Amino acid sequence: MIANMMETAINIKTFIMLGWRNLWRQKRRSLVVILSITIGVVLMLLQIAIMNGMITQMLENNISTKLGHISIAKKGFFDDMKLESNFLPDPRMLDRISKEKNVVAVAPRVKAFAMIRTSEASRGVIVMGIYPDREKNISKINEYTLNEEGSRYLDDPSANDILISKTLAEKLDVVVGDKVVLLVQDEDNEMTGVGLTVRGLFQTPVRDYDNGVVYMGIKRLQEITGLKDNVSEVMVIVKNKDIVDSVKPRIMKSVADDDLEILTWKEMAPFLLSAIAMIDKQMIVFYFIVFITIIFSIANTLIMSIMERFHELGVMKSIGTRPSQIFFIIMFEAMNLGAVGLAAGVVVSIAAVNILAIKGIDFSLFMEAMRQWGAGSVIYPLIYVKDIIISIVVVEFTTLLAAMYPALKAARIKPLEALHYI
Amino acid sequence: MSIITISSLTKTYDGGGIEVKALRGIDLAIGRGEFTAIAGPSGSGKTTLLNLIGGLDHPTSGALSVAGSDLNHMTPRQLSDIRLNKIGFIFQAYNLIPVLSALENVEYILLLQGVKKNERRDRSRRILEEVGLGNEINRLPKELSGGQQQRVAVARAIVSEPELVLADEPTANLDQKTGSSLLDLMHDLNHQKNITFLFSTHDAMVMDYAERLIRLSDGMIISDEKKKSGRQSPVKKIKKKK
Repeated sequence: MIANMMETAINIKTFIMLGWRNLWRQKRRSLVVILSITIGVVLMLLQIAIMNGMITQMLENNISTKLGHISIAKKGFFDDMKLESNFLPDPRMLDRISKEKNVVAVAPRVKAFAMIRTSEASRGVIVMGIYPDREKNISKINEYTLNEEGSRYLDDPSANDILISKTLAEKLDVVVGDKVVLLVQDEDNEMTGVGLTVRGLFQTPVRDYDNGVVYMGIKRLQEITGLKDNVSEVMVIVKNKDIVDSVKPRIMKSVADDDLEILTWKEMAPFLLSAIAMIDKQMIVFYFIVFITIIFSIANTLIMSIMERFHELGVMKSIGTRPSQIFFIIMFEAMNLGAVGLAAGVVVSIAAVNILAIKGIDFSLFMEAMRQWGAGSVIYPLIYVKDIIISIVVVEFTTLLAAMYPALKAARIKPLEALHYI
Repeated sequence: MSIITISSLTKTYDGGGIEVKALRGIDLAIGRGEFTAIAGPSGSGKTTLLNLIGGLDHPTSGALSVAGSDLNHMTPRQLSDIRLNKIGFIFQAYNLIPVLSALENVEYILLLQGVKKNERRDRSRRILEEVGLGNEINRLPKELSGGQQQRVAVARAIVSEPELVLADEPTANLDQKTGSSLLDLMHDLNHQKNITFLFSTHDAMVMDYAERLIRLSDGMIISDEKKKSGRQSPVKKIKKKK
């Protein structure tokens, strides 16, 4: 058996060459099959690239607005966001965290439920008290602030200014410079109101966020709510979102406070992970479509090719070619078909993804749905090496699977029967 | 010493419910180095006999031994190896592999035998030169004439120096001159390399060349005539006169 395989291996180069030449005997037919594989691979890789872009943008957008990478808060705050779940961040603790390896930024926030009211309407919102400068390293709210109609980002943590989304401004019928009233519960559970000036308008890619979050200076919010220097949470940004699990234990050590809870974005937003899992499942459907296309086109082509060469295969067997060698010749022919289609598909896909990634693909038509997912309306397709490897495995595996039956059929040809077949 | 030993060999086909007796008890021994033709009209059983000797088919009964191997009790894989290593085949329709050049067609046998590349190339080139195709080695079969293709087929059959070459009507598709020169070639190879040649034919010229002529009719041997030496082709005679 081993000797047999060794002999076969020695001849592999010739069998590949034979397979390659046989492939081009029927140029048009082979090209049609190659084209169908190429189209299948391109569709599959483009779909994957768009999904990758969507997932990445969805995660980045959610992280860059509401989640951050890691959040430190009083135990129970994440489950029930009450104002009394606050704590006084120890400056030494903050210092220790910012010095941790891979930590990029640390900033406290105050978060509270509030009601924003104008003469026209009122809305329930979450008010975020931030240090405008430090927040620039934590979230992208600065970048999301619009530069139109006098809109600008906050600058003073103690000012009576508020930053609201464009959507909310339309609903409340206010423009930049108008006054709004913010009603919040203070530490004694008393409702207290304060008049604030709309300093700027923002628009994030996350629809829910725009509908329900407003920003103001942290100092002013602490003053209104009577929190003094206490905060609701401390946000931590690390070098990239994928290393949060390894950074978390070190931050836990730096915090060393049993009353505080530390959660990563994955723990804060499990829905994002389940959305990714769902998208991954959808990918399987695309792989399957390509799989079916390849199986039928390759199997069909090879069966036709074998029937045409029935006599010739009989001659090859008559002069001493073993069934296993015939099997390999047919398998290599299939592999060549798959490899050419695959190579063309991968090249076209990489080129297409790179071109499309320059300006992104505009999905404005599905704007609302896209914003609901938090992905934004323009998707920048992304392709990873692993996707290309998966496509190579899928195509070659499928090709070999499709070639099995024709190759076995060819290997079992009875030489005498085939010699009489013209 | 015999290279082929056959005793009481029969072959019966199922011709749509009717038994067709292609061979009805053949007893035959072919010695090493013989240049033998099996002749007979269509349906006499000569191709069936050649197929059985070549291990391409199984007999219904009887014993058949080729180059010391009992073909009756061999697996398809063993038969494949016998065909590769001990027997060379020449077909009526040349049957070269169309995607391989003349050189590659000849080399293919050596490749299957696991001969190293350089040796393979050298031997194939040499044999193609011997059959007069030294300048055509890189041509594909479709670029060669019928006679040239059959010469490549002869080169392919003898390149591994088999003990036996089976040729099924090798001249049937060739004109008389080409056929005669091909027979000359095979005759020379038979003498130089002591390779046993066994033809099936109904071509009078092949019968004339054969040193032994076995006539079949209705699946039985009706005559077995040994001649002192086969006739030389008229072409060769003319050349010698000059």
